[in-house]
Amino acid sequence: MSKEKLDAAIRRLSQEPSYSAYAAVANLLDRLDSRASGFPLLKVAVLRNFTLEPLLPVIKGEVALSGFHPKVQVGGFDTIAQDVLDPTSELYAFAPNLIFLAQWLEGLSPALVTRFTSLSSAQVTDEMERVLTMIGHFITVLRRHSKAPIVINNFMLPLFPALGILDAQSESHQTHAFLRLNRELRDRLEQFPDVYLMDVMGLMARIGGAQGMDERYWQVGRAPIGSNALLPWGREYGKFVRALGGKARKCLVLDCDNVLWGGIVGEDGLKNIHLGKTYPGSCYQTFQSEILNLHDRGVILALCSKNNEADVLEVLKDHPDMILREDNFATWQINWEDKVANLMRIAQDLNIGLDSMVFVDDSQFECGQVRERLPQVAVLCLSGDPSLFRTKLQEQGYFDTLALSQEDKRRNQMYRDDADRKRLVASAGSLEEYLTKLKMVAQIGPVDELMIPRVAQLTQKTNQFNLTTRRYTESDIRAFIANPATDVFFLKLSDCISDMGLVGVMIIRYQDQQAVIDSFLLSCRVLGRGVEDMFMTQVLALAQARGCHTILGQYIATAKNSPVADFLGRFGFQMVAEHATGRDWSLSLTKAISVGPSWVRVECIQQRGKYADK
Amino acid sequence: MQISEDKLKRIMADIFDIDVSTIDDSTSVDTVSAWDSLNHLNLVLALEHEFNITFSVEQTVQILNYPLIKAILGEHGVSIGQGQ
Repeated sequence: MSKEKLDAAIRRLSQEPSYSAYAAVANLLDRLDSRASGFPLLKVAVLRNFTLEPLLPVIKGEVALSGFHPKVQVGGFDTIAQDVLDPTSELYAFAPNLIFLAQWLEGLSPALVTRFTSLSSAQVTDEMERVLTMIGHFITVLRRHSKAPIVINNFMLPLFPALGILDAQSESHQTHAFLRLNRELRDRLEQFPDVYLMDVMGLMARIGGAQGMDERYWQVGRAPIGSNALLPWGREYGKFVRALGGKARKCLVLDCDNVLWGGIVGEDGLKNIHLGKTYPGSCYQTFQSEILNLHDRGVILALCSKNNEADVLEVLKDHPDMILREDNFATWQINWEDKVANLMRIAQDLNIGLDSMVFVDDSQFECGQVRERLPQVAVLCLSGDPSLFRTKLQEQGYFDTLALSQEDKRRNQMYRDDADRKRLVASAGSLEEYLTKLKMVAQIGPVDELMIPRVAQLTQKTNQFNLTTRRYTESDIRAFIANPATDVFFLKLSDCISDMGLVGVMIIRYQDQQAVIDSFLLSCRVLGRGVEDMFMTQVLALAQARGCHTILGQYIATAKNSPVADFLGRFGFQMVAEHATGRDWSLSLTKAISVGPSWVRVECIQQRGKYADK
Repeated sequence: MQISEDKLKRIMADIFDIDVSTIDDSTSVDTVSAWDSLNHLNLVLALEHEFNITFSVEQTVQILNYPLIKAILGEHGVSIGQGQ
C-alpha cells in the first residue's frame, strides 16, 4: 500500500517536479523502511553551519529518484567541529555512505563577507588560511574515521562587492579574494581521496545570486537558500548521488525530426529541413553541438526515429550543416515500429540496461508511452521552443560522472568497433572460427596505482556481469592493494580490431589457505567470447600457485545480474548454500586447473612481491 | 492568479504529510502535529516557489492557519477558487 503510494509520488515528482512534490516523496520515505520501498539504503550525513532543512526534502527526493532509499542524518547547527572531531559522535555511529559538508562562508568567516574593507591584505590572507586550514582539518579527521565519499561546496561570490565598482579593479579586493579562496579550496581537496567539490559559486551564478540567496530567512533563521535555489541546489547533490552510486546514464537515444533538425525530412526533403547557421536552424546546430560534447565525454549515441532509414541516413551523410554524422552513432532503429520495441532493441544491441538510457523525443505521445511502459528509461520531452533544447538537456545532468577515463572518451569508437566485429561474425563459419579470427589478447595482473580510477569506476558502474555488485571507491581499491591479504586483478583485452582497455576486475581475499572471491566483474561489452573464462581460470591458477587449497565464491542477487547466478558452477564450484539474497559456492583447488579457452592468448601475468616470496 | 483550493490544500498536505481531505478552515499550527518551525519554513518556501511570490517577514510569521494563508496569498494576487 505505502509502496504503491511511494511509486506514485515518485512518478509525479519525475513528471512535474515541484518543491511540494519532493516533500511528498520525502515524507513517504521517512515513514517506510528500505525493505518496504525496495530500494537499497543510502545513509547520508549532512554536516552544516547553516539551516539547510528546507533542502532536505529535495535531497531525499533526489536520492529516491536515483534508486536509493535515503536515511539522512543532519548534524547540529554549526557543530561541524564537534561532529567531526569526537570519535564517539552520532555521525560516526551512523556510519554514513555519503557525507555532505555544507558550509556557508558568512558563518565560517563573517569578517571576509561583511567587513572586508576593514581588513588589511595580510589579514585577508590570514583569515582565508584559517578557513582553509579548518576545512582541511575536518576532512583529514573525517577520512580517519570514515571511508564515505565527501561532497563539499565552495562559496558564492559577493553580490555587491565591498568596494563597489572599484572592487573588480584589483586582485586584492573582495571578489578576487573569494575567487582565490575557491581555487585554493579546490587545490587542497586534491590530496584527499574521494572528496568532491560541489560548485556553489557556479550554481549561484546560474540561478542568479540575488534570486538564489534569501536575505530574509538568512536574517530570521540562518537559512540562506531561497525558494528559487532549493530545487537546483538539491538536484546538484542528486548528481553526486547518481555519479557515486553508479547510476549515471550512459546512452542518449534521439528522435530525429524536430529534435535534431526542424521539420520532417520525409515530407519536407533534405533541402528544406531547418538546420544551419541562422534561426531557427541554428537552434538545432547548437543542440547537436551539445550532443557531440556528450559523445566526446563517452556517452553512447543512438537514433530512434519513425522514418525511412534512407531519408535519415541521407541527412547524416549529405546535409552540409549537420554537426553529428553517421559514425557518431553506435546504433539506430529507424523504422515505423513503435518506439518501446525499438528502445528495447537498442538496449539489446548495445548490451546495456534500460536504466542506462535517456530517450529524447518531441512527441508527447511517444514520451508518454515510453514513460508508461519502460519506466526505467529517463524521458526528456523536447516540445516547444528549440532555442531551449540545449539548456533542457544540459540542466538534467543525466550523464554526469566524477571521472573521465580514456575508455570513456573512446567509448563510441568501441561500439563502432563492435559493429565491425559483428560483420566478422557474419563472415566466419562457426563461433569458434570467429573467436579465433578475432585474435584476442588478454593481459591479467595486479592493479597498479594508475589503474585505480578505472577499477573503482568499473565496480561502480558494472551491473550485469557482476557476481557481488560491491561498489568501491578509489580509496577502497587503494586499501585493498596495500593489504597483503587481498589482491585486485585487472583484465585488459585487445583483438585484431581494437584495444578495449581495462574491462575486468577481480578482488580476492585470502584467509589462511582459503581464497575468497570478493568481487568479479566484466564490462558487458566483452562477454560471450570466453574472456570471462580465461580471467577466472587464470586467477584460480594463481590462487592455487599461492598455496590456497579452497576458493569460496558468492553470488549476490540484484535486479540486473541474474545471468551470472550459476557462473561459478561452470568452473566446478559446488553450491554450498542458497538463500533469498544469493548463493554461496566453494571449489577445492587440489586438482589441476585447466586454463582456457585456447582462442584467448594471455600475454603477461605480472606477479606482485608476495607471490615472488613463495 | 487564480488557483484552485485543491491545489493549495495539496501543497499543505505534501509538506505536513497529512490527507488533503482533513484540511479545512479550522486547520492551523495547533491542529497539525507536523506543523513545527522547520516545516513552517518549508511551507513558506513551497508557497513562494509554487506561486512565484515573495512574502514579507511579517507575513511569514502570520500565516499560521488555513484562512490566513488564503488571505495573505490574496494580498499577493493569488486568489483561491472554490472546489477542484
